[in-house]
Amino acid sequence: MKNPQQAAAAFAPDIPAEQLARIETPLAALEAAFRPLVGRIPHETEPAYLLAVAPEAGA
Amino acid sequence: MTIEEAARLLDARQISSAELTRQCLDRIARLNGKLNAYLTVLEDSALGQARRLDEERARGSVRGPLHGIPVAVKDVFCTKGVRTTCGSKLFADHVPDHDAAVVERLEAAGAVLLGKLGMHEMAYGITSNNPHFGAVRNPWNTDCIPGGSSGGSGAAVASDLAYLAMGSDTGGSIRIPASFCGTVGLKPTTGRVSRYGVLPLDFTLDHMGPLTRSVRDAALALNVLAGHDPRDASSSRQPVKDYLPAESSSLRGLRIGVPENFFYDRLDPAVERGVRGLARVAADLGAEIVSVQVPDIAAINAIGRVILLSEAAAVTAPYIHRRGDFGADVLALFDQGRLIAATDYINAQRLRRLYQQEFRKLWRQVDCLLTPCTPTPAPRIGQTELEMGGNKEDVRLASTRLVRGINVLGEPALAIPCGFSDDGLPLGAQIIGRPFEEDVILRAGAALEEATDFRRRPPEEDSPQRRGGRGD
Repeated sequence: MKNPQQAAAAFAPDIPAEQLARIETPLAALEAAFRPLVGRIPHETEPAYLLAVAPEAGA
Repeated sequence: MTIEEAARLLDARQISSAELTRQCLDRIARLNGKLNAYLTVLEDSALGQARRLDEERARGSVRGPLHGIPVAVKDVFCTKGVRTTCGSKLFADHVPDHDAAVVERLEAAGAVLLGKLGMHEMAYGITSNNPHFGAVRNPWNTDCIPGGSSGGSGAAVASDLAYLAMGSDTGGSIRIPASFCGTVGLKPTTGRVSRYGVLPLDFTLDHMGPLTRSVRDAALALNVLAGHDPRDASSSRQPVKDYLPAESSSLRGLRIGVPENFFYDRLDPAVERGVRGLARVAADLGAEIVSVQVPDIAAINAIGRVILLSEAAAVTAPYIHRRGDFGADVLALFDQGRLIAATDYINAQRLRRLYQQEFRKLWRQVDCLLTPCTPTPAPRIGQTELEMGGNKEDVRLASTRLVRGINVLGEPALAIPCGFSDDGLPLGAQIIGRPFEEDVILRAGAALEEATDFRRRPPEEDSPQRRGGRGD
């Protein structure tokens, strides 16, 4: 999200250039809204989903 | 006619399920060419099912209020032996070997399945302008979108092509079509209704719920749909309630929050008038109206978009090489999701927890929130921008602005009609409640519905360009 051109070159080279141009603007807007929030996350905060391990069947 | 009214006629033997089903099928035959609400109509099996349910009733066995009621489901719910497309070319020939939990529960309750409903491709958008199966049209004005992604569900219920239609809601996809089509739409609490057997758009934002003609019908539907399902990892064991509100329309003792920030910014003036009018009605019914400050919903929306883009891109990763099989709008979203870093996705889920905790503090002050559902009435098909207060806004982002965040938080939310625009299109309000307190928002919604006449104005089938006026 930080640099869609570099990310696409590394992870999604099949995205055509014209599509990349089209999606850069909404991704940049999302980046602007999202990035400042990341700096405010307290260190110990867990994600909103967590792995729950069920006991083995018959245990 | 609502489910409650039809059930009374069925109980009194004044009509049979076969007759109700035939009436719906006749209306579908007459109107679906205009509306494109149904992708698949199950005429023979529906009539057979209705006759069997009539025989069962004649033997004195009635399963409940949905016994013999014709319903339909969005084409995202798997139906055993019946094509389930997800509105996508990828699944154009997909015939599941099992039913979704929702379909199982509806059938066990005696509902008659009329067919499968049209939707936005892959449930990833709000127009239901589907490049593979055609545009679903709004019954109030066929030049307008019905909303989405459960657009066929909204159009079918609004135009009496089913008594109940199931939808799915990842960022507003039940409530937006309810708002644009003038129906009721309920997004239950996360985990309240099983997602088993639903073709997923996403893993942590998808919710299943009903669109109906009345709030009480939505409550009847939830009575059937709610409950734990071990086949859905997110399914809750929280006890199920009786969700049908008492007949009393008093709201005495209920504290309804009206947000001072975010929700009432950038609205079509008719929407603001409609929702503030509902707040006055609520006060007249005895509710305490409380002005509240809500947490940063714009931030919650951004968090939701990072999560949805990432998870939806993961869901479609095995198919993304078939680029020509996707419509341009959904392909652009899938491509955006592929460029989001794993660290951003995980941090979005951490932020989600923080905002859930912050939002839950609100529930010390109020029992529910009353907000607009969509900031405008239904846009026209093909329209890409909305103008409000001199500012232009993308149609998709504007239409999801007031609803998306609630999927991130997990709270239940109810869309109800709150009036009409000057050109006769329905307007929608939203009631948001505490987790697993669907009974509270249904009580509030039923009382407001009873005190107003917005739901009693169905579109007239022969004049879809209708402007206002009281219907049958």
